[in-house]
Amino acid sequence: MEKARISASQLFVLIVLFQLSNSFLLSLGINGKQDAWLIILIAMAISMVLFFVYYALYQYHPGILPTEYIEELIGKLLGRTLAFLYILYFITIASRVLRDIGETLVTFAYPETPLFVMNALMIFVVVYTVYKGIENIARTGELLVVIMFLLILSIFLLVVLTGLIDTSNLQPVLENPSTVMKTVFTETLYVPFGEIIIFTMIFSYLTQPKKVIKAGVLAISVTGVILAITMALNISVLGVMLTSRSYFPMLTTIQSIEVGEFLERLDVFFILVLVIGGFFKVTVYTYGAVIGTASLFKFKEPSKLAYPLGIVILILSMIIASSYAEHIQEGLKVFPLYVHIPFQVIIPVSLLLIAFVKNRKK
Amino acid sequence: MNFKWIISCFMIICLTLLSGCWSSKELTDLGIISAYALDKNEDGEYVGTFQIINPMNVPGSLQGGASGQRPAVTTFTETGVNPTELSNRASRKISRDLYYSHTSLLVISEELARDEGLSAILDSMERALEFRATAKVVITRGIKAGDFIKVLTGIDQIPAENVLKTLDSTEKLYGENINTNLQEFIQSLTSTGKEPLVSGFSLLGDMEKGKTMEQLHSTDFDAILEANGLAVFKEGKLVNWLDGEKARGTMWGLNRIHETPVSIDWENHKKAIAYRVIRQKTDVSAQMKDGKPAISITIRAEGDLRTVAVPVDVTDPHVLLAIEKALGQEIKKEVEAAVQEAKENKTDVFGFGEKLHQSEPDVWKKLEQEWQDVSFPELDVDITVEAFIRRTGVRNNPYLFDLEKKSD
Repeated sequence: MEKARISASQLFVLIVLFQLSNSFLLSLGINGKQDAWLIILIAMAISMVLFFVYYALYQYHPGILPTEYIEELIGKLLGRTLAFLYILYFITIASRVLRDIGETLVTFAYPETPLFVMNALMIFVVVYTVYKGIENIARTGELLVVIMFLLILSIFLLVVLTGLIDTSNLQPVLENPSTVMKTVFTETLYVPFGEIIIFTMIFSYLTQPKKVIKAGVLAISVTGVILAITMALNISVLGVMLTSRSYFPMLTTIQSIEVGEFLERLDVFFILVLVIGGFFKVTVYTYGAVIGTASLFKFKEPSKLAYPLGIVILILSMIIASSYAEHIQEGLKVFPLYVHIPFQVIIPVSLLLIAFVKNRKK
Repeated sequence: MNFKWIISCFMIICLTLLSGCWSSKELTDLGIISAYALDKNEDGEYVGTFQIINPMNVPGSLQGGASGQRPAVTTFTETGVNPTELSNRASRKISRDLYYSHTSLLVISEELARDEGLSAILDSMERALEFRATAKVVITRGIKAGDFIKVLTGIDQIPAENVLKTLDSTEKLYGENINTNLQEFIQSLTSTGKEPLVSGFSLLGDMEKGKTMEQLHSTDFDAILEANGLAVFKEGKLVNWLDGEKARGTMWGLNRIHETPVSIDWENHKKAIAYRVIRQKTDVSAQMKDGKPAISITIRAEGDLRTVAVPVDVTDPHVLLAIEKALGQEIKKEVEAAVQEAKENKTDVFGFGEKLHQSEPDVWKKLEQEWQDVSFPELDVDITVEAFIRRTGVRNNPYLFDLEKKSD
């Protein structure tokens, strides 16, 4: 753990940027067709429970990292193995997000540039930021969140001004309640909302630990509402069919903007949101992995781990899938069930139970 | 000190490497396509025609002197087994990279649309990175799509621009044509409760003369491009053309009418009163009536009287009410004709199916499979039209009254 402090408002900014990032651009919960926005809101509400679990765990062990308190809770061998698995989890997800950004850029903006170059350029910046430490990440966030909100606001505004919104596309509401709940529990709850588990690595840096819950709940609600509006907007502009056929529905929505015959082809908005958001997601994950490794292996200068881990993430992002379709399928079918559920739900909840029992004995 | 030198060297190297983009293309290497036309030849291959802007010859550019001597656009034709093959093969003839980002018009010939349909072609447009989903689609009637984009036009010198503006203004002022872009087309194509509509275009005059600069040196052009009718699609294939009042009736039903003239007979004078719609609102709703789906269309039109070629007292509100009623009947007739035509063709161009899906999702689930062929033709459609005359122009009664007194 490095000697640094961040404020509750900075935590809020980090969570917002982290969760908006690439989720803003993908088709979240599109399995539920026109109810995708509803799915996001439900997943948001349930993810608050998860957040309370993470927070409660932290409350039992204030000021120390999860990689350390796991050891306290379930013993040295098992605890260390689990902590190591968590670090691997963060590294894998970091490389998946990196791959996401790279693939998106190559797919639509730089078709002739190799993917490796895209990912390498991104990871350079990430490694540098992580090297500089959490305070700098948080301050960068404060700066970029303004740009992010302005971009999102202007996208919303321009789409409304273009007059493309046809709210009848959102009807009928709740056509298939079972599909809605199924999508919530198999996909949307874990990406992007459950990913907030990475912030357990950051809680202990807070100057006012009591405000964690306030900042977290506020951040989750803000991002949940923005994402729900985004999906509602995508579906009302593009229709359910086109939205579900698009890898990046937001791109198609932005491309349909035509205001006054000169405000059009605003694809650059898409790239800006993608790069700012994606950068934060990868950075926060990498930071979590770096700080976790340092604490697990009792490494004195965590920032020096940024370079080797950055290279691991870069290489992993290249070998993780051979095509974009494979990458997406893994993200939708394999990861939620076999990776996200254990790491985001089962392990934290059982750890909390153990902590609860142990503390009651005292 | 040494470290500082390394850093500055590194920065200078970065400067040289980062100053350009990986996939950069210079403007002078791009052939900017303004319109793209697709036909099919006897061998079953696609024939694509590209209308490429001649940057030197577009009036308004710096070298304005060159304009007027050479055409603003050049066309190239290439064949290929699919649009991607075709596009890359065209490099054999064109000295620049084809650049699709500014392609605002996609022209498809009637034959291709009728025989093969657009389903197979549009995927490559939608999937492509540069091709814009906001590009407009038109179908050519009685002429090859490739020939259509070779015709030079006058007021707007880039023919694609000319077609787009014509389409825009005719939808706004007359309402027999519809402005469909690629995205809207695919949306309706994939929807089970709606079929797409695309404007037709035809050529008046002599195509061969229209291709040459001679065309632009006269006040009366040898060849003119004219918006003509609505093409109705079913399962991606063109099945029918709607013309005249059926086309306009369809546009009423789709709530796409902006301004349009409506003329009625009055006291044995044929089409003596003309009314111009300024704004209108069409509400379509679906509900269940005696266990069967039913659609009600409510149209409210507002406008002015623009021609009164019959001595009638338009200062009298009672007379205006009578005229309003007759206008409402006239509009209703058009919409009824359009609905009838759609039912006969078994093509739900109005999107009644979507409306039903939105208000009665359970009923829709049962009807969805056979909506176009079985349920839609039997649909009960109720049309209510209200027309309001708000003003009668800057004169009250027509001068025909004064003429009548004079002759007495």
